Formats: sequence, C-alpha cells, structure tokens
Amino acid sequence: MSTTQGRAKPRILVIDDEEPILFALAEYLGTFGFEVDGAREAEEAEALLAHVRYGAVISDLRLSGVHGTEGLEVVGFVRERCPWARILILTAYGSTEIEAEAYRLGADAFLRKPLPLADVAQAVFGMLGEAA
Amino acid sequence: MTTPSLMQTILGPGGLSARFQPIVDLDEVGAPSLHAAECLTRGPRGTNVEDALVLFEYVRRKREEGSVDRACVTGGLEAGRCLAGAPILSLNVHAVTLCLDQGFADFLDQEADRCEIELDRLTIELVGSPPNWSHPGITSALEGLRHRGVRIALDDVGLGTANCHAILECRPDFFKLDRYFVHGVHNDFARQAVVEAVTMLAADLEAQVVAEGLEEPADLEFLRGLGIRLAQGHLFSPAVPAAEWANVTASFCRHEGRRSDA
Repeated sequence: MSTTQGRAKPRILVIDDEEPILFALAEYLGTFGFEVDGAREAEEAEALLAHVRYGAVISDLRLSGVHGTEGLEVVGFVRERCPWARILILTAYGSTEIEAEAYRLGADAFLRKPLPLADVAQAVFGMLGEAA
Repeated sequence: MTTPSLMQTILGPGGLSARFQPIVDLDEVGAPSLHAAECLTRGPRGTNVEDALVLFEYVRRKREEGSVDRACVTGGLEAGRCLAGAPILSLNVHAVTLCLDQGFADFLDQEADRCEIELDRLTIELVGSPPNWSHPGITSALEGLRHRGVRIALDDVGLGTANCHAILECRPDFFKLDRYFVHGVHNDFARQAVVEAVTMLAADLEAQVVAEGLEEPADLEFLRGLGIRLAQGHLFSPAVPAAEWANVTASFCRHEGRRSDA
C-alpha cells in the first residue's frame, strides 16, 4: 500500500541534456502516475525549481557545461531553495570522490549508468517513502 | 540536425507572444476608463518557459536579459500597434538591460518608428534589480528615454530591491504597487498603512500609483478612497492576446481614443 494513498503523487523534475534519456525517464515514471517535467539545462531546471514545487529531482551529473559536474550545482540549488525535495544524481562518469561530494551537498541517492529504468523508479520510490 | 537550444527557441520565430492587460483609470465614480495596456510576454507554447515567471527566471540565469528584452519590446510593439483605442503601451524591461544595453533607447526609437507608434505613447516599466540602481548606465538610459517622451514606471514597488533607493534614482512617473500589498488591503490594517505611505510618497514625488493584481471590489473601493487612480487585475480583465483586445475595450464605455491627459 502506498504511503501517499489519498494524496496526489509528487511532481518530479528530470534533468538531462540527452533528449532520448529525458523522454524515456519521463515516460517511464509517468506510468506510475507521477507528473514529470523535463529540463535539458541547469538554468532551465533552476528556473522551474524557483516556481514549481517538485517532490523529487533526478539529474544527470554532466549537463553540457564546461566542467562536467553541473549536476552537483543542481544538488546545491535544490538543498538551498527546495529543502523538501529529494534528489537523485545519475552519471556514467562519476568517481567515488564525486559521489561523496554529491552526498555531502545533500543528494539522497547516487546511481551509475547504465542501469534499468526500473532501478531509477525504485530509487525514486525509496526517496519518496513510497512502495513501488 | 541538432535540436535548437531553449534560448534559440525563445528568440526564434513565434517563440514569444504578447498579451495585453488593461490599466484602468478609477478617477470617477462609475465604470472605470482605460488608461493603458501593459504588454505581458509569454514564452514558447508547450515548453517549460511558457509561464512568464519561469521564462524570465531562465532568461536571468542565462544572462540574456538584453536580447530577450529587445525581442519582447519588438513583439509588444508589433502586436500593440493594432490595439483598438490606441492605448498607451507599457512595456516591461529588466533593469539590467538598461545597465548594459547602451543602445536601448535608440533601439526603442527605431522599433517604435517602424511600428508607427509615437514614443509619447510608451511607458517603460522597470522590472528586476540591477547591480546598483545608481549605475551610470541606468541614469543615462533613463535620460535618453525621457528625452524622447517615454514615461517610466517602477515595478514591484515595496518588494525586493524596488525600494526607496530605486525610486530616488529612477524618479518613476508610475509606482507599480505589487499585488502582495493590494490583495486583501481592505481589511488588513498593516497593508493599509504601507499602501497609504506609498501613495503619499508617490504624490510628493509627483508620480501616480498603479495598483496591481486587483481582484476584489472591496479592495478597489479602499484604494479609490485613498485616491489611487490607476489599477489593473483580473477584476477588470486578465491579459489577453491582441486579437481579443477589442472585447476588453468594449467593456470600458468611456475610453474611445487615447486620453490626452493620461
């Protein structure tokens, strides 16, 4: 039984500069009843986070910036501006140092790609305290 | 073919669209008359930035205020040129744009001329916060605009950085009083005190107050009692596309043509 029974599903923001991944995650999570928005840039995500209430944020670590760890900036932004939101970082490149830094900044989960979409959904349910 | 970036979509053909909300004159008892039309820009339909708040938050984070403001001004003038009643047009411009875009006044001049709109029909509404309200770029830009007959409004007076420093540096013709102070003012003593103080300050500086976000008739009556003449909000009309403007003007029975004293 869902712990959020009787309440609306939290809205989720997915951030990834690769359109196919964005599309796949949004579609997959949508099948569980989540309302999902997608953003391709950190600035677009931050603009949404400033005005829309999200229960969870899923961000790729690398977002077509110059240093390749823009996802960590998103973690910092979410912790400062939306402390209620849970945040999951996905990456194909992350080192243990970056993973530790993500957790230090306030990430709730850190997963390495490639991984099945079901694992992402499981992590989201875990963060939100919901049963899959 | 690569997917265009969000900023390219915003600045591309059909990216931005203009809506117009009436600013009404409450001067006389009875039906309010039309004072002006504020141009409110929306982002590309179906994108995350269709909502204006998200759009301009994104633009600010991309540091593209200047280019987007120019696009908004062009869109507002092109759509506003055909509005029934030829109202005064109030165009929003970020304060940062005036700091950094030294050619803005000339640009506005050229675009207004291209759209056959006289400059004394325009109000530039300053939004957001610059690095410093005393920035020489702002002073210079405001001089250039005023020299051309353009009037100046300061948005969100009383909120954030739209404070007394901004008022003294900009010497606005209009104080735009944010909905935060307007909504529920009729039964909130603290709000009444703030609105009354702003109204007195505006009067002393020979400016007019525009109450934004008016929704309740009781708030309208309170503001009218304070001597506030100008207001906008859903009580009168939401922002509408230019094609629907005629329906808005039809609801104001006494405002055929532009008021020469407005």
